[in-house]
Amino acid sequence: MRPQLLPAASTADLPSPAAPQAPLRSVRQGVHAAAAHELWAGLHLSGFDPVQGLGPLATRAQRFTPRVSLAPPDGLLLEVSGSLHLFGGVASLGRELLEECRHFQGHPVLAFAPTPLAALTAARAGRALLITDPAQLIGALAPLPISALRWPEETRARLARAGVRTLGAVLRLPRAAFARRFGVAQLAVLDGLTGRTREVRAAHRAPVRFRRREELDCELSDHQRLLAALTPLFGALGSFLTARQCGVAELECRFVHRHAPPTSCVLTLAAPCADGRQLCALLAERLNVVQLPEPVRALELRAEQLLPQRSPNRGLWQAGEQGGEACEESDGLIDHLRARLGPEAVQGLTLRAEHRPECAWRLTEPPSIAPRRAVPEAPEELPARPLWLLPQPQPLAVQAGLPRHRGLLRLISEPERIETGWWDGGEIARDYYRAVGRDGVRLWVFREREAPHRWFLHGIFG
Amino acid sequence: MGVGNPKIARLLEHPAIWRGRSAARRAGLRTGFAALDAHLPDEGWPRTGLIEILVVRFGSGELTLLMPALAALTRAAAARWCVWVAPPLVPFAPALAACGVMLDRVAVVARGGPALWAFEQTLGSGACDAVLGWVRSAKAREIRRLQLAAERGRTLGVLFRPRRAAREASAAVLRLGVEPLAGGARITLIKGRSPRRGVLDLRWAGD
Repeated sequence: MRPQLLPAASTADLPSPAAPQAPLRSVRQGVHAAAAHELWAGLHLSGFDPVQGLGPLATRAQRFTPRVSLAPPDGLLLEVSGSLHLFGGVASLGRELLEECRHFQGHPVLAFAPTPLAALTAARAGRALLITDPAQLIGALAPLPISALRWPEETRARLARAGVRTLGAVLRLPRAAFARRFGVAQLAVLDGLTGRTREVRAAHRAPVRFRRREELDCELSDHQRLLAALTPLFGALGSFLTARQCGVAELECRFVHRHAPPTSCVLTLAAPCADGRQLCALLAERLNVVQLPEPVRALELRAEQLLPQRSPNRGLWQAGEQGGEACEESDGLIDHLRARLGPEAVQGLTLRAEHRPECAWRLTEPPSIAPRRAVPEAPEELPARPLWLLPQPQPLAVQAGLPRHRGLLRLISEPERIETGWWDGGEIARDYYRAVGRDGVRLWVFREREAPHRWFLHGIFG
Repeated sequence: MGVGNPKIARLLEHPAIWRGRSAARRAGLRTGFAALDAHLPDEGWPRTGLIEILVVRFGSGELTLLMPALAALTRAAAARWCVWVAPPLVPFAPALAACGVMLDRVAVVARGGPALWAFEQTLGSGACDAVLGWVRSAKAREIRRLQLAAERGRTLGVLFRPRRAAREASAAVLRLGVEPLAGGARITLIKGRSPRRGVLDLRWAGD
């Protein structure tokens, strides 16, 4: 059997050959199943200066939905069906969206429709339409002027000569004849308008790093004034991060001087943070300990790597109450202390399986205080160790065979022999004793096993 | 109507009300030493607020005194941090583990910065069950700030100071003097919401 060519898959997208003369209006069956549930907000800014660029506005609009598309030079499209319930319905979402436009030049018009092109066309025509039902789409679009489609002047003139001035009139034209006279591209526009074909629009992608530079009017050296000049930059960073639902864990602030190389101030956080004010407060702490070689003439704020922000999960209980968690507080505390005291300021402790006391522990990152899944095991029986270990064993004087430390020491335990470490050059061979000084302080001392059998103080029981 | 009225008596049991005469009982944190529990106002360490431990000499047994309570705090299901602010040495982790302290709840703030500031921040953060701080000198006003921070963070703050500070006024809820004894320590209650005063000799287990 010879292979056969299959017919075109999506016949709905093509003019139906069975009824070539059918008016364009009867295309309801062509509405894409998924598209039927979409609701697009078309935003048109009349008098918008294209030089300004739509990027910043689109980024701000991503607060409402991740599906934001640019419609250059002066429009924006948002698919909002998924976010309506989050903003309390179409009316209040529209209000908030128009509020965002205040930061930008131009007079905004907002229209809602089930297809992107319809929403944009209505907004460009200056009509703040709200069309939620696809069945009413064509009826609502019909009175709009042809000019809102932004077709070439020549096409518009030819349509005008034929007496076609509204969208309703152009949609009533026979499809085949329309395509022949005005081109398939124009027919595709009409199909997109009515939802007969589904339009695919590239989503706007916000820049993934933050860099902002502020030239100061005059050179500043006072920390308070520098902080005041930094505040708007942090405000911008905060809204930048909120729009992306991201946080930063590392942030660099550079102070540019006239002659000296820029002073760099890096904040490293325990958990991603998106709050501009909190970041500013942390930088203020850091600024306290920064020495500026010269007055500052410009400020730069850089966040290179954005991290997805952990959504704040607040417990019913306050931290420290029964069942209350304190993860957020502990992250905040680490950031706060490190901002002022340096990155090494806060550390955790952990054990190492080693017999040499000085190697039996090390510093780690501060622990997380997420609630425990399992109940901690009962403490193991471990040999008695002093709560304080000296960083270096301290040699002790000897009198009558016994060590002295502010007076003669009295040994109060049997020796504990630790003899290990021959494999890495740090070999020790010691007999450890607990001892009590004349003042009653309990000490941990050892005697070397090898001649000359010196005595050392190694710890204080505390 | 007097104190005999059961309703008023119940009101007076409220932990925020302290009556000098009867020392309203609050659930303290067991110290791990029965004799000391009996001696302290809340039958244990207070769970919130600043206490001061005054020692003649570093290593008089002041930490051994706290270890059972720290072990209990760090072993709780919703345990918060136990932070050591500016200790003279880094605490020896194997010894803490031997005392039963869970190291995954211990954090150390290194010495060499503004210790009072770090102590106050840590106390007030709400991230800690206990904060131990070594501060060389503190004025009465600063101790008052620490006490307020401890209440704000619902934290037990322990401030270690030299014994000569006993003469100065302090806003701490509890002040103890600790002196070493052979095989134990002598505890002096200098200040506390308790009718008891005087000294108490404790013996360490295992000595």
